[in-house]
Amino acid sequence: MKRKFLKNYFLWLALFLLSILSSFQQRNTAAVNDVHVKIIFVNNIRESKLILNDSTYTNPFDEKYTITKLRYYVTNVSLQNGDGNVKEKKSYHLIDESKISSQVINFSVPAGDYNSIQFLLGVDSLHNVSGAQTDDLDPTKDMFWTWNSGYVMAKMEGHSPDSKMVNNKYEFHVGGFSGPYNVLKEIHLNFPRKAIHFEAGKKYEIFISADINTWWQSPHNIKIAEHPTITTPGENAKNISDNYANMFHLEKVIPE
Amino acid sequence: MKKKISILIIFFVVAFAIALEAGRQESDEYSLLHPTPLKLKIPKGWPKPSSDIFANNPLTEEGFQLGRKLFYDGRLSKDGNFACASCHQQFAAFATYDHDLSHGFHDQFTTRNAPPLFNLAWSRLLHWDGGVNHIEVQALSPMTAPNEMAENVDSVLQKLRKDTSYQRMFTLAFGSKMMNSQRMLKALAQFVGSLISSNSKYDKVKRGEDKFNAAEQRGYELFKQRCNTCHREPLFTDYSFRNNGLPLNDFLKDYGRMRITGNVMDSLKFKVPSLRNVSVTFPYMHDGRLYSLYDVIDHYSKGIQQSATLDSSLRKGIPFSEDEKNDIIYFLHTLKDTTFLNDKRFSQP
Repeated sequence: MKRKFLKNYFLWLALFLLSILSSFQQRNTAAVNDVHVKIIFVNNIRESKLILNDSTYTNPFDEKYTITKLRYYVTNVSLQNGDGNVKEKKSYHLIDESKISSQVINFSVPAGDYNSIQFLLGVDSLHNVSGAQTDDLDPTKDMFWTWNSGYVMAKMEGHSPDSKMVNNKYEFHVGGFSGPYNVLKEIHLNFPRKAIHFEAGKKYEIFISADINTWWQSPHNIKIAEHPTITTPGENAKNISDNYANMFHLEKVIPE
Repeated sequence: MKKKISILIIFFVVAFAIALEAGRQESDEYSLLHPTPLKLKIPKGWPKPSSDIFANNPLTEEGFQLGRKLFYDGRLSKDGNFACASCHQQFAAFATYDHDLSHGFHDQFTTRNAPPLFNLAWSRLLHWDGGVNHIEVQALSPMTAPNEMAENVDSVLQKLRKDTSYQRMFTLAFGSKMMNSQRMLKALAQFVGSLISSNSKYDKVKRGEDKFNAAEQRGYELFKQRCNTCHREPLFTDYSFRNNGLPLNDFLKDYGRMRITGNVMDSLKFKVPSLRNVSVTFPYMHDGRLYSLYDVIDHYSKGIQQSATLDSSLRKGIPFSEDEKNDIIYFLHTLKDTTFLNDKRFSQP
């Protein structure tokens, strides 16, 4: 009898240790009823996929141009439901047209009904004044101004015969996080149907297109001949940001 | 027999748990050491810094020493010739001695006079135009400027990663040998932010350890009447941006603060520099156009150029007689802090 008790005692102890171990391992995995969401950004010119370097486009002012570089920050992503919103933790993403992996954002939300997505186009003002950052906010990403501290929120570069700058270059480095020329844009996109139920254990994909052709017009006309380089915070940068605030379109939300 | 199995199970489980826990630790030998915390000493009677520059960058002996090594390392520049210290020399209070503009990559000039480096914890904005808003990101500016160190940060990190002494020092300071821009910049900020100058003759007089001579005392009285508004004690600057009546340099066309704010009201405004150690930081002004302290006093006496943004306190200039000039310069020499200029802790490691 005593031996049996002892044996049980050891078995219980072993089970106890095992349970501690398994809790260690579960610490970093998501809760069971979470839904995995994948947000996919597709950069277009009007209806067609943007092609860097090799395609020549025409802007609304009949100016021909190519695009060699296109980057912008998507930050503080959240999904809305009736009760409020679910924010992604530590959410700073540099969408870079030359890097496919950068165009996908993964995060988890609790299962439930969602009706819209929201994010900031740019880097919030706090992170412009908080010193050296890492990951997509690392200054080596070439999106940080060293002479006038702050992030370039969006960047487009290329060539156009209408630019009188060296090698017919045009460059838009759009930044400025405070004062009248703040270029930060809060983007809110409704889901196509009113609300979509995100079922536990499933994966969902949200496709968002960005029409880069919007950068040129409405509400402000930006002509390459007049403004081949906009690379400092100020009225011109603000004007481009007013235009590109309209570039996003939520295409579809589908189970993977 | 069954008991033996039970013991075996327990043995394996415990061994597994230990292995799992050990795996979470860095395998590095230094990871068990903790860096030694340091505290920035605020001199008695000084105001509190407007913000804590080390709030997200805990100051440690190991971080400071890493920053010191980086500060004196030419590998932070493209051709290896330009350490931070080549334009920021300790004997010149970390300004460039006897140079109006400094020299950079490929024999180029900089466009402004290298400012001395001390008491930066009190300076919310850095650079003559206040364009840099945090001490951690300041180093990016000279490092990447094509006429200064002309390097890019990734390339600097590649060079440092090959050096075993850096691998060791990054581990001691930050817990692993991983080198990224953030760690490098934070270490530099720890060194530069620790440069405090607070032991000049003026400080000793204020603490009752020394006495001004007659000329210094007369100079101090003059200073309090005529200079103290902008060069406020005890830091000898109010950190404001002001147009002090220097005509625009037609070659440099430097409008100062306006470049940052885009506001025409900021045209020709530059940061009021501290006067501490002023006798070793010549030449003076944002472009080093005035060579001696006499030239500076003469400028305020009779050289002020009127303009829309001229500081209101300078509309009539600040007249000084010849005797007064001598007295005020005697006083300014009492701001030289030889303890700071010779502090081995701040010298080349």
